[in-house]
Amino acid sequence: MTERQGMPETMRRTALFDAHRALGAKLVPFGGFEMPVSYTSILREHDAVRHRAGLFDLSHMGQFALRGADVGAWAETLTVNLVANMKPGGARYNIFTNDLGGAHDDVIFYRLDAERWLLVVNAGNAEKMWRLVSAAAPPTIDVVNNHGAHALIAVQGPRSLAILGGFVEPDIDLAAMKYYSCVETRVRGVDALVARTGYTGEDGFEIFCDAEFATNLWDALLDEGRAAGLEPAGLGARDVLRLEAGMPLYGHELTEEITPLQAGLGWAVKLAKPSFAGRAALAAQAAAGSYDRIAGLLLDGKVPARSGYPVFAGDARVGEVRSGSMAPSLANRIIATALVAPAAADLGTRLEVEIRGTRHAATVVPLPFYKRPR
Amino acid sequence: MPQPAGLLYSKEHEWVKLDGDTATVGITDYAQNSLGDIVYVELPRVGATLQQFGSIGVVESVKAVSDIYTPIGGEVLEINGALEGDPALLNREPFGAGWLFKVKVVDQGETGNLLSPESYDELTQE
Repeated sequence: MTERQGMPETMRRTALFDAHRALGAKLVPFGGFEMPVSYTSILREHDAVRHRAGLFDLSHMGQFALRGADVGAWAETLTVNLVANMKPGGARYNIFTNDLGGAHDDVIFYRLDAERWLLVVNAGNAEKMWRLVSAAAPPTIDVVNNHGAHALIAVQGPRSLAILGGFVEPDIDLAAMKYYSCVETRVRGVDALVARTGYTGEDGFEIFCDAEFATNLWDALLDEGRAAGLEPAGLGARDVLRLEAGMPLYGHELTEEITPLQAGLGWAVKLAKPSFAGRAALAAQAAAGSYDRIAGLLLDGKVPARSGYPVFAGDARVGEVRSGSMAPSLANRIIATALVAPAAADLGTRLEVEIRGTRHAATVVPLPFYKRPR
Repeated sequence: MPQPAGLLYSKEHEWVKLDGDTATVGITDYAQNSLGDIVYVELPRVGATLQQFGSIGVVESVKAVSDIYTPIGGEVLEINGALEGDPALLNREPFGAGWLFKVKVVDQGETGNLLSPESYDELTQE
């Protein structure tokens, strides 16, 4: 029995590595770090996040501190979305684009106050993004790479509000925080940024703090959250959760070659902005309209579709699977995203995914696959 | 998990139990634990002729596809139909109800290429 994957190279570790090992985590290479893929089982951790709460170490993600009066205006020239009009306490999804409109990375900007910002980038892109951001920043903008020096702990799931409530200063009303907002506060006496963001499709919070405080905070959250059903959750569960919630994963739905429009992220692309990297290419793509795009597939059978499997409409190959999984939130059906020709992307279109030489029927369905009950 | 008596093992973490010239094949507890939640199993056809250590199917966990190699050659007599509806049987009872398939052994001498329980324990404790 041999798993079809490569072997790790030299791995970095987050501040919580020992905590993961003590919890019996299965560790895998991810974005240059040795990270927990699961602690007990991916399906159990997925269930915890959908119905109770899960605790994630996301300290492998890149954190850049940006400071300056004109960060917003500058960042808007490199990205598709608006930045300058963000208010202190705001958070916004964005995409850094290349000149052809492809994605360098998808990121979140957090605005702490008038001049201070936090930019969170994907772990696997952290070095590339640091080169890009540090080279592009004018002298009036101070940029600091805190990748690895700052921790990120996420509490995700319907009970996350109740669990985290006991950890923040009494003047912070977590329940009143809007989705995609952030606040600087102390969490158990430790200076932290708390944001109502996440990558699971559930309510939840992300806590950014100095790495030296991460272990104490992680242990306290687990100790006190267990009674409410909080469990440590790994990157395996996170990937299934994000796919069900229709959220892109860089390298799969979004790449240097796959543009935000193709990825279905047109809502974040503000072509009305006068200029930004890739604007002309994206405007042309939008005008032409006939581009390959990411579609959601629901397979008929039980055979998992995986990244790279070819997709057919009749005899014509029309695209390929970019992500796929069994979906516990959809009665264990097999779901996938695929980059397909425009004619194959219409909802209800019947397609076939080729898996080890055999065709398996699938239907194009709307994204996201899963929406949480409100 | 205690390993049942009388099994032989492959380096690829399959087990085989011989009963006359019928061999039952499965994956070990170590294997299912490494894989995590198993969601799909693809097995050879009944009647197919398998070569020892040939790739004969796949086990899919949430995260990954893994090839299964048969630890012994022969003709497939039966496959475990229960795995189609309940692939997690492999996680729960790898040495019992989660068996994969049975073959009619052609060459009993092939067992000489397999590991004893002691040797397999050593392999998984490395």
